[in-house]
Amino acid sequence: MSNSPIIAEDLVRHFDDVQAVKGINLEVKAGEIFGFLGPNGAGKSTVVRMLTTLLRPTSGTARVAGFDVVKDADEVRRSIGVALQDAAIDPLMTGAELLSLQAVLYGIPSAMMKKRADELLERVGLTAAASRRVSTYSGGMRRRLDLALSLIHQPTVLFLDEPTTGLDPMSRLTLWEEVRRLNKEGTTVMLTTQYLEEADQLADRIAIIDHGKIVREGKPVDLKASVGAPTLIIKTNIDQAEKAKTVLSTFGDLRPGAEGALGVGLRGGASQVTDVVRKLDEAGVHVQHLEINEPSLDDVFAEATGYRLEGSDNAPSAGDNGDEEPAKKKSRRGRK
Amino acid sequence: MNTATQISTRAMIDEQDLHITTMRSAGQLIKRSLINTRRLPSAFIPTLAMPIFNMVSFSGTFFALTKLPGFPTDRSVNWFMPLGLAMGAAFSGVGLGFSLIRDLENGFYDRLRMSPTSRISLIVGPVLATWIRVTLVAIFVFIVGGLLGARPTAGVLSYVCSLVAALGISTIGAGWGLGLAFRFQDMRGAAIMQMSIFLTMFMSTAQVPLDVMTGWLHTVARVNPVTNIFRLSRSGWVNESSSGYMSWSNVYGGLIAIAVLSVLSLLFAVRSLQKIDK
Repeated sequence: MSNSPIIAEDLVRHFDDVQAVKGINLEVKAGEIFGFLGPNGAGKSTVVRMLTTLLRPTSGTARVAGFDVVKDADEVRRSIGVALQDAAIDPLMTGAELLSLQAVLYGIPSAMMKKRADELLERVGLTAAASRRVSTYSGGMRRRLDLALSLIHQPTVLFLDEPTTGLDPMSRLTLWEEVRRLNKEGTTVMLTTQYLEEADQLADRIAIIDHGKIVREGKPVDLKASVGAPTLIIKTNIDQAEKAKTVLSTFGDLRPGAEGALGVGLRGGASQVTDVVRKLDEAGVHVQHLEINEPSLDDVFAEATGYRLEGSDNAPSAGDNGDEEPAKKKSRRGRK
Repeated sequence: MNTATQISTRAMIDEQDLHITTMRSAGQLIKRSLINTRRLPSAFIPTLAMPIFNMVSFSGTFFALTKLPGFPTDRSVNWFMPLGLAMGAAFSGVGLGFSLIRDLENGFYDRLRMSPTSRISLIVGPVLATWIRVTLVAIFVFIVGGLLGARPTAGVLSYVCSLVAALGISTIGAGWGLGLAFRFQDMRGAAIMQMSIFLTMFMSTAQVPLDVMTGWLHTVARVNPVTNIFRLSRSGWVNESSSGYMSWSNVYGGLIAIAVLSVLSLLFAVRSLQKIDK
């Protein structure tokens, strides 16, 4: 049997008549950062909830840190750290109080609690805010506290469920750095995200999940190479779209573009752009916008699923300047 | 954090074999519950105000009840103070269900469920915190009741019996509230919690003695175990000449009812928690 810290075999989960996860197989190797990429509702969180013992699989098996998630749930819980979506933290408590609670729940001896909590607060840059109520924290501070809470017992496997959703670029970068640092120290990380850039930047390997199934898996560089040709994206008038498609299809396979755009994987590479433009012109197609992109995870996703990841164009990258969303509470029930 | 510290932390945890004691976790959950009560007093005030309001309004409005032949006390506040206390205790108990629903909805409970601590501590801790809150409510009710003219007829035992009954009712309410919250996991459970608890209470001797009831209400109140709990609660507040006055025969039924209903409701809570783990 493999020694990999996360192994799932034919993992299935139903909610009444809905099959949310349809036979997932995956293996995360020790010391890896594994990215689990997919749109909202693809089944990412359901898989994570099964792997973290919060939800029983309808069928299939999973082993985390060498333990079966159903039969040895307590052992799994002792071995893993989890930061779920929306940083579920009691807003009335202070950061220090929450760390104490978490330490006791994980059996950290009283003599070590304070030292451990202080180390973690320093690590995530919250020492000064430790005695403030969490309700006064920004979204980024909550995420960092959530991360600190998940590390209290020094887990060997860390699950991060959309850890940067709603964060501003600076907070996102800080969290990425911390994840890399943890990984360097030997922690295996499984990260779910709907941000392509996040998966590209952080993950050693990724799996793309869509409608409850893994549709691609591998190293980002290999997946991008598998798409092969660069993608030419054009925008034209709606009434000329069909004509444009006919022209584009002579240069390679059509690929889904963002709304209102057409894409084609150029078989002959970027040097064909001039020819494409000439042919479009000859066909009377007025090109409003044209761009050529080297293969990206977005292309991999589009090729695997037939559509582009919703909002991927708009997802704030670490280099953008954007306002941080306020921390918000959402009902968990619907997410099961 | 340096590697040596990590290793020493792991070693100590391994040494203890992560010996997570139920009581230590329960203690932290009691602490959390009390911190939240202190920081969000608006959630606790109704629990405190309700028994006072009931005691004052019922004892004033239904003062004439004491003139009924055979009514066990000539002080209406002596009769209605245990009712007010019981209602405050029931509110505290089912209030635990409301808090749990909040934790379930905002995801905080996932954090508790993902920890390797014993599931029992997740029930015991909050229930013990409720006991502390009910004790505070009881002290407040006894003081205000005393100011309004309530006089014990069996000394310290009068207070002890009322407090035990209140703690029992809060435990039953807490078990029931937690169980329903685990089952429904949203506010649908809240309406059932409140309605069922208060219907059960009012279909007992909550307001009037069994002797003055007639028809189906008499039959229901007679078999309703909550009647025994009220008998226990009032045994030290009725006249010494009354048949309900403090004696073993008047309190053991209440104690048994509390024990049985507490065990059943807490079992319901534990089973319901196990169900959401599946």
